[in-house]
Order: sequence, then structure tokens, then C-alpha cells
Amino acid sequence: MPYSEDHIALAAEYGLGTLDADERAQVETMMSVDKDFTAMVLAWEHKLGALNGMVGSVEPRPELWEKIRAAVGHSQQQQAPLVLPDAPQLEPARTIAEAAGTLGAGTSSVDNSNVVQLAAARERRWRAVATATSAIAAALVVMIGVGVSMPELLPNSMRPKAVTQVAQVTPQAALRPSGQYVAVLQKDAGGPAFILTVDEATRNFTVRKVGASAEPGSSYELWLISDRLPKPRSLGVIGANDFTSRPVLASYDPDTVKNATYAVTVEQAGGSPDGAPHSTPIFAGKLIETVPPSR
Amino acid sequence: MLTPAELVWLIAAVAKGDQAAFERLYAATRAKLFGVVLRILRRQDLAEEVIQEAYVKIWNSAGQFNPGQSSPITWMASIARNRAIDVVRKRSEASIEEEPAAMEVAADTPDPLARREMTEDLKRLLECVGRLEPDRQKLVLLAYYNGWSREQLAEKFGAPVNTVKTWLRRSMMDIRECLGL
Repeated sequence: MPYSEDHIALAAEYGLGTLDADERAQVETMMSVDKDFTAMVLAWEHKLGALNGMVGSVEPRPELWEKIRAAVGHSQQQQAPLVLPDAPQLEPARTIAEAAGTLGAGTSSVDNSNVVQLAAARERRWRAVATATSAIAAALVVMIGVGVSMPELLPNSMRPKAVTQVAQVTPQAALRPSGQYVAVLQKDAGGPAFILTVDEATRNFTVRKVGASAEPGSSYELWLISDRLPKPRSLGVIGANDFTSRPVLASYDPDTVKNATYAVTVEQAGGSPDGAPHSTPIFAGKLIETVPPSR
Repeated sequence: MLTPAELVWLIAAVAKGDQAAFERLYAATRAKLFGVVLRILRRQDLAEEVIQEAYVKIWNSAGQFNPGQSSPITWMASIARNRAIDVVRKRSEASIEEEPAAMEVAADTPDPLARREMTEDLKRLLECVGRLEPDRQKLVLLAYYNGWSREQLAEKFGAPVNTVKTWLRRSMMDIRECLGL
């Protein structure tokens, strides 16, 4: 697909690293829905990456490895039975382009099955951990509560997948001190925007509309896009009122919530019928910490 | 450092959930990745957090690595560097304290390698960067190595941010043409 010079420059400057946080979020959002654009960004990262050959190596502290091993769920020897049977079975030959294809609207059922298999493997692994922690049980109750009491928040096709969201919840999540985060989802300065605020402790989010109104017959839908999740997740349709407040982020772990890109698309009235976005995001942004947690 | 072919093999094993391969991959690449992000973040604690997140992502997305599209070390370094850039962009928007000092420390680019130590990709890229005006060369290299924002570059070069924005864009387009991208 031919891209405008603006898009090419955006991809190049993403690789260079000179975009601001909003522009980086915009690029990441575009990458999540456009595999040709993704390929262009990766090509720039590869070309510029040669420069790293001139950077000197520096040894990190030895303790770092233990943290990484714990973070990916590799346990010590005595806990091994929890993890080993369910290690992810990704095909090594699976390319970035194929993976990007699973994010697009035209997803084939074959691609989906790969993702679901992976999610199921992770889910089994995490479910084993979950049984040991009441924090996770609590999160599960909240998640089921959302699905049962407010089904309109989640497109139908998302409801089975909601189970995999539990996989992202960690025991530490509920114990971490609270911070306040805000993201301005805006296309250009001065234009209409959405202001998203997230409370880290409750993971309630509120969206405030500033001068943005959906065309008749269409709705604004809010999405969470994370490199930890196989595809964008709907956070529901943004209501007609100035403020829309929901607890649906409670089923995601704090790091996913903090580092995700939030994007708004225009969908048919009432929201996407199949759980996948149908337009290029018109507004996108990332959370910025406004009130740091007390550490 | 292992050869690129050995790293590709390790990443393929990691994609299948091989924990021992992951440990070897970490041992072979951690110092390079840490060097890259420490240069950008300039704080040991932040750099370690970013490296931790980067290796978690490498573990989770090893199956998406495409050897035809990138070299293994560049793929891994890009994951780490992107996280580092995200962190500095968020921090610089929340607070600009401690930046002037950091800028003094970082106001240079790495020492050039002997030409025989350079990869073909690096020689090619440096030839293209070398065709830019001297100030633009420095602009591009400072942006890449130090992860500086347009605002920091504007301060360093004593130019308005919008001018720096134009310079960066023009420079990247010139490099693109030179590389035949």
C-alpha cells in the first residue's frame, strides 16, 4: 500500500525515537490495525538498529535475571509442576506479518485458533496460580459481574474471550498502592477529544467527552490495545453523556492498564458487533501518571 | 556474543517455551541491551525495569520474530529501546527536572568503531548519515543514541522546536532515499 510522506515520516521518526508520547501511541495504534504500516516501521527499526553496534555493552546486576525469570512465570524447581506442562507452544515460523494479520478486521479462523490456543495455554497456567490467591478470585468475580450484569458493555463475541483476561491478573496487582492516570485522546490540538482518567487502585475509568459527538447512526467505542494482548479489547461504547464511567479495566493487570494505548473508533450504533474495531482509530493516547502512588 | 545464526536458533527455542534457551539468550544479549537502554534512561533502576519488561516481551513474542525481516539482536534491542523511549517520553512530559544535567553528561555520541568491526548494515547507514550536513548528522545520532525528544534537541541546537521537527523529517527522508527504502 502506498503511504503518504506524513506516514513514512511518522514510521521513520518512530524508529528514530523523536516522536512525543501521543504520536508514539498513534503509531502503535496504526501498527495494531495495519500490517503494511507495521512492516514499514519494522524496516526502519532494522535499518536504524545497526547503530546499536556502536553502543558499548554494560552488565546489569545479576539479580535482574531472577526478576525476569519470575516475571515470565518460570518458577523455582519446587514450583515447577505449576508451569512446565503449559508453557506456550508458539510456532517459531510464525511471522510478524501473520501475527499482525490476526489483529486486523479480516481475521481468518485459522489465525484465530493459534491465538486462542496460546491464550488457552496461558489461561491454564494462570488458572493454576489463581486458585492459590483470593485476589484473583476477587478479580474474577468483578469480571463475571460485568459480563452478567452489564452485557451491553462487551460485544457478544468478547464474552468467551473475557476468560483470558483473567490470565493477565497477578496476585501483586491488588496490593499495589494507588496512582491516578490520565490520557488525552485527541487527533489534533484544539480539536475534539476524550479525556480518559484511570484510578490505579479500583481500575475504574472515566471518559469525558470534550466537544466530540458521534454522527447519527454511529457510536464511539473505546479500545484497549496492549502488546500483551493478541488483539484490541473493547472497553465499551462511550455513552451519549459527557461522562462515561466503567469498572471493566479491573480485569486487566495494572501494568497492562498503565502501558496500553487507548483508542477510539467510530462503530455502528451500539458498538462493534463482533468485538473487533472496524475503523482506523480517530483518537488515541497513552496514560500519563498524574498522582504517583505512594511508595 | 553468539553469532546471529545461534541467536536465531535460541529465539526459535524460546518460542517453543524452552526456559534454558531463554536463559542462554539473556546471557548472550543482556549487556548489549542494557548498554542501549542505560544510555537513554541514564538511571540504573529505570534501565533495569525496562530490561525486565523487554525480556518478558521477548519471551512472549519470540514466535513473532521473523529472521527474514530483522537480525535477532536488532529485533531484541528495538523492543528494549522502544520501552526506554516510552518511559523517557512519559517522564519528560510529567517533569523536566534533572534534564539539564543529564544533557551535559550525554551530549556526545559513542566513539566510532574501527571500520573492520562494523557490520555491512552499519557501514551503509553511516554512509547515508554521512551525506547529511554535519549538524544534521549530529542531530540524528543524538536522537537515536540518547533518545532525546525534539524539545531536548531544540535546546541543544539552539533552534525552535518546529525547526528541529523539519530538520528531523528532512534528514529521515534523505536517509530513506540514500538507503533505497
